[in-house]
Amino acid sequence: MEHDLSFSPSSSTDGSSYKLMELPQDLCTLIEDSFDHKSTPLSFSVKGQPGEDAVLCTSEKTYTMRSVVLSNSVLIVTPPPDALSTDFSDGAVVIRDQVNEIIELAPSVPKLYKLGGMLRGRDYDEHQEDEDENEENENNNKFTYEEAKSQIQASDAELDHGLKVRHILNIRGELRPISPSYLARLLQLFLNLLVSLALSLDAAHVERLSSALADEHQIPRTVSTQIMSWFGDIKEGKWKVNIESVIKEVGLETLRRYKDEPIEKDILLAKWKGLVGDTYECFVSLSLLSGNYLALPNDMNKLKYFPASSLPVDPAPRFADLFLTRSRWKVEDISPFLADIAINSKERDKLLLKFARGTTDAEGVWYTARAQYNG
Amino acid sequence: MIIPITIASSSTNPKLPPGLAKISHDEIVLVELQGTLEVEYNHPSERDGKLVGKLKVEEATNKPTLRIGHHLLEGKIATLPKPLAVLIRSNTTSSAPSDRVYVHDQEGDAIMNHIDTVTANWNVVAIVKRKIVFYKRPMPIVGRPT
Repeated sequence: MEHDLSFSPSSSTDGSSYKLMELPQDLCTLIEDSFDHKSTPLSFSVKGQPGEDAVLCTSEKTYTMRSVVLSNSVLIVTPPPDALSTDFSDGAVVIRDQVNEIIELAPSVPKLYKLGGMLRGRDYDEHQEDEDENEENENNNKFTYEEAKSQIQASDAELDHGLKVRHILNIRGELRPISPSYLARLLQLFLNLLVSLALSLDAAHVERLSSALADEHQIPRTVSTQIMSWFGDIKEGKWKVNIESVIKEVGLETLRRYKDEPIEKDILLAKWKGLVGDTYECFVSLSLLSGNYLALPNDMNKLKYFPASSLPVDPAPRFADLFLTRSRWKVEDISPFLADIAINSKERDKLLLKFARGTTDAEGVWYTARAQYNG
Repeated sequence: MIIPITIASSSTNPKLPPGLAKISHDEIVLVELQGTLEVEYNHPSERDGKLVGKLKVEEATNKPTLRIGHHLLEGKIATLPKPLAVLIRSNTTSSAPSDRVYVHDQEGDAIMNHIDTVTANWNVVAIVKRKIVFYKRPMPIVGRPT
């Protein structure tokens, strides 16, 4: 059968109202399920500020969008609209639009690093309550959850996860990163309460903890429950405590003070155990702080605060930083500082091969900078 | 700074004739041409509704042909390397969640659009996995009426 192919009766106004977007398999399945009504109605959003590359966010993931110009043109052909079908012969089809580019999608990491800058100076600590009184004056430099949703190029799930790992509170819609020292103090209160109320680490009673904190220490419930959700799981009013992460956070706060002046390993452990209390001191272990400290090369028992999280995210500048800090590394010493950029030990070894040079001597393998441009 | 993309759940749009519907999608078929269709006109609306040519898909061989004037194009039905979503812009003036509106230029960068009331909304209406490609040069047809 021959089909008459015509320009659509509204082709002059239809123009550029169509776009073609290449779909990765997972997105394709998601959309097809939605077409077949197998899942709840679906919607995506394109996010980006002027000057940024746009990203497409599903509820879970982020994809970068790239427009690719085609040398061929693609006609989008449909049947003529019902109202005008009498003007066309049987089986006729119309050209709705000519497309010369397609949008390519590539999975991407969420661009959460902007959160740091947006929230600078908005730290939440114990003087928060007095601040609330003159809240009105400060309205203009508030940064809300809704603003983060529209300005941060990340899916909702990734944003929520990012806020959680960065310890950012959501107080009546406003985002406030909790100050690390205040957080550590609150966690100590939690540990004390867990002991004094004799609560189990597997199912601590959320309501009892938050009312105790609210009554005795004037800690808002929204703050205490959010902290509990960062350090474990809350289900049906019970908090399953991730005790290691609590102990680690307290230890980090102790260590953080020794950025320039090193501290003896044993003194650090003693201070740390003192802060967490007798009941939980068995969980204290230096390995919890891996990736956050550096032992002095001449005295392995002296430690300095050196967090991997403050190093650059890209491998090349990270290695440059690491080799500036120390000119040669043992593999076991350098790996904690690569753990957050390499998914597994194979990836880590690949990075070491690419950015470092291995040399073997009596003490084992040492890694040094690959190119020493400055001689 | 958010452009919503919704997934159309069902549609009442007219369906393609069966020969074209079986290519990939029952409402939309993609036809790829080398080069573009160029039409001389004084105003774009002059070409509205005008006949371009005759499109035919041979039942037996599945070979598509397109006859435009005295020229015949031969093509094939090709599977796309990756499925394509077909998006349609729908401009809604309804109360949009954001009061500012942004549109995208060809590079995919967001540009601010200063109209406050119109929100660009995109709808995914179809997923297409195969297309018709006319990859050969047009052949002149001799001795046949158009």
